[in-house]
Amino acid sequence: MKKITVIVRNLPFNIRRNAEALRMSVGLTLREDKVTVIFIDDGVYTATRTKPELINIPHPVREFGALSMLKCSMLADKPSMEKRGIQEILENIKCVEREEIIRTINESDIVIPF
Amino acid sequence: MKLGILLTTSPENENTNTVIEISKAAREQGHDVSIFLMYDGVYNVNKKEFAELINKGVEITICAFNAEQRRVAKVDGILFGSQYDHACIANSADRFISFG
Amino acid sequence: MVNNMTIELDLKGEVCPYTFVKTKLKLEEVESGEELVVFFDHAPAVENVPRSLKNEGHKIMGIEQTGDRLWKVRIKKA
Repeated sequence: MKKITVIVRNLPFNIRRNAEALRMSVGLTLREDKVTVIFIDDGVYTATRTKPELINIPHPVREFGALSMLKCSMLADKPSMEKRGIQEILENIKCVEREEIIRTINESDIVIPF
Repeated sequence: MKLGILLTTSPENENTNTVIEISKAAREQGHDVSIFLMYDGVYNVNKKEFAELINKGVEITICAFNAEQRRVAKVDGILFGSQYDHACIANSADRFISFG
Repeated sequence: MVNNMTIELDLKGEVCPYTFVKTKLKLEEVESGEELVVFFDHAPAVENVPRSLKNEGHKIMGIEQTGDRLWKVRIKKA
């Protein structure tokens, strides 16, 4: 079993990259590898409660639902959240210190910045 | 050694040439190379120099869902596969590099 | 006694990789040797899901197009 970490660090709505990173993460679980998704820098906005349907973008509710169901860990970088004044994130996403983010990346067999 | 590569940018990005050159160099050293294309990376199948990697023994798989969204037509020798195939590449690779 | 009850899964509206994820999860509820029938309307899934399932050791008993963009895939669990 490999440890695969996907890093989401871009703004969520100007392109579909982040939603696709989440869809890819769901797929990566299919060979029983342990997948972790990290939200860092502007990527933390993806971890917040939003209404993208107001600008005609589908909400990645299916992606988040599948990742939770498959028990993938989802981590949001606390310093990135603080810098942007974000206090609330989606359930099943854990707000963690930078040290835990670094440890997770260091312990990974594969890191995919998306 | 088995090298896995993920490419998610379109051919105008410098990533394409990097992937082409890395893949050629790896094949010349006798390594196996498997490339997975998704998101805008699916457009690379239309670039001649990229598609020619098949003749060098590089395995190329494309996310059929992203290809269908972007109206990218099937190309002989390239597997129009799924995220399951990406999981297989990541799972079996000795080294995995992501270009995004 | 022969059990004629077929287990069905409707995956209309689902795309990759959810088509495969949901098929795999449903197969966990099925006994070895039993058949699962899955309905898809996502064309790439009709080629890719059976190929991936074969790779996981399951048997594909049949793929049938039942409508304009509707397919029925019969899977026998390994």
